[in-house]
Amino acid sequence: MVQHIYQLVRKEVQLEWRQKTALGTIFIYVLGTTFLVYLIFQGNITIPTWIALFWIIALFTTVNAASKSFIKDANEQFYYLRSMASPVEIILSKIIYNALLITVLALVIYGVMVLFFNENIADKKLFLLTIVLGSIGFSNLFTLLSAITARTQNFALLAILGFPIILPLLLLIVKMSGLSDFAIQEKDIYLHLGAIALLDVITLLLAVVLFPFIWQD
Amino acid sequence: MKKYWWKLLSILLLLYTLVMGFLGPIPGLNILEQSIRNLYFHVPMWFSMMFLMLMSMIYSIRYLHRQKVEDDVKAHSYAIVGFVFGLLGIITGSIWARVTWGAWWVFQEVKLNGAAAALLVYAAYFILRGSFEDEEKRARYGAVYSIFAFVMYMVLINVIPRITNSSLHPGNGGNPGFNSYDLDSDLRMVFYPAVIGWVLLSVWMTTLLVRIKQVFRKKHQLDLE
Repeated sequence: MVQHIYQLVRKEVQLEWRQKTALGTIFIYVLGTTFLVYLIFQGNITIPTWIALFWIIALFTTVNAASKSFIKDANEQFYYLRSMASPVEIILSKIIYNALLITVLALVIYGVMVLFFNENIADKKLFLLTIVLGSIGFSNLFTLLSAITARTQNFALLAILGFPIILPLLLLIVKMSGLSDFAIQEKDIYLHLGAIALLDVITLLLAVVLFPFIWQD
Repeated sequence: MKKYWWKLLSILLLLYTLVMGFLGPIPGLNILEQSIRNLYFHVPMWFSMMFLMLMSMIYSIRYLHRQKVEDDVKAHSYAIVGFVFGLLGIITGSIWARVTWGAWWVFQEVKLNGAAAALLVYAAYFILRGSFEDEEKRARYGAVYSIFAFVMYMVLINVIPRITNSSLHPGNGGNPGFNSYDLDSDLRMVFYPAVIGWVLLSVWMTTLLVRIKQVFRKKHQLDLE
């Protein structure tokens, strides 16, 4: 099973690498959006605004990146993939790949925002940990939802389905980002990190349990 | 009589709620004053909504398990009526918030925002169902989404407010709960029957909706033949 998942993740990376336009699109999207936000805010923002903008850009980028996860697999390669791997292997490989992609994209956003705004979070290690945990949660949720929306022609559907459901995770992440800049009590940090990790586990379990029902004809 | 006793009970309890709710004794607290009577209407809306959404999720799980159309019709109907009760809950809550907290919408209120998010979730559920022509696919994908959504919704309204600790509702964020005001238990005498009455009414409404849908399905099938 681990071997299969590794092969599938490798397949994703290779396919993505071969079609550099798709990857380029999403990176330019990130750069463009961040630059736009920089100009709109005239380069001057406080840390809470910085955090809010960071996660808004990250969320929209995630929706964009995740929306194409299953377009090919659910339509052209569906029967081939289904005969090659079990649904659990497929969803896990997709989640791993998307989590990696989202983490990289979030790091790019982070870099660009630090470059433009000259503002930074006080505790960078803690913020990076938040980014990684947040990206995993984003990936769990949006990978499953993109499997649901892949067979519809409604492109706004992923955002509609995802935004209200991501809310608990997003609220915790934003609070945690604030804490990594300034925390009065250390116990708050552990509480929030623990809650985010717990949500990651819950969403992962839900995705793995529910995906086999989607991965049918 | 055996079958519809609970419908009669619902009518009796709601009649009792209406009469005692508007005429019964109240503690007469500052700020709250007469608006405390909203307790019998606003809070049961949420109890009903939560109960109906739970039923909707149970039928969704059952649908994925047995793949029977009736389960999907029930899951969908419970969600629709739950949505209506959610809207009523928001409206009654908003009026109450204007009187006691001074604004129609209050940001520091996690439960209010959670409620709005829940309505968005179920609105998205209806749109998702509308995006599929095929009945079986619509049911399956809808069931998957509603299970996922219900779990996250429970996290949002039950776990997040406790962690972030920012709610103006009684019993949250250091506010005293209603039970501490309610020493003479006058409120309780009306509140508990009200909750049961409203929940029963909401279930009754759902069963009617299910029956209407079944009639339409049958008619559709006869038309095809």
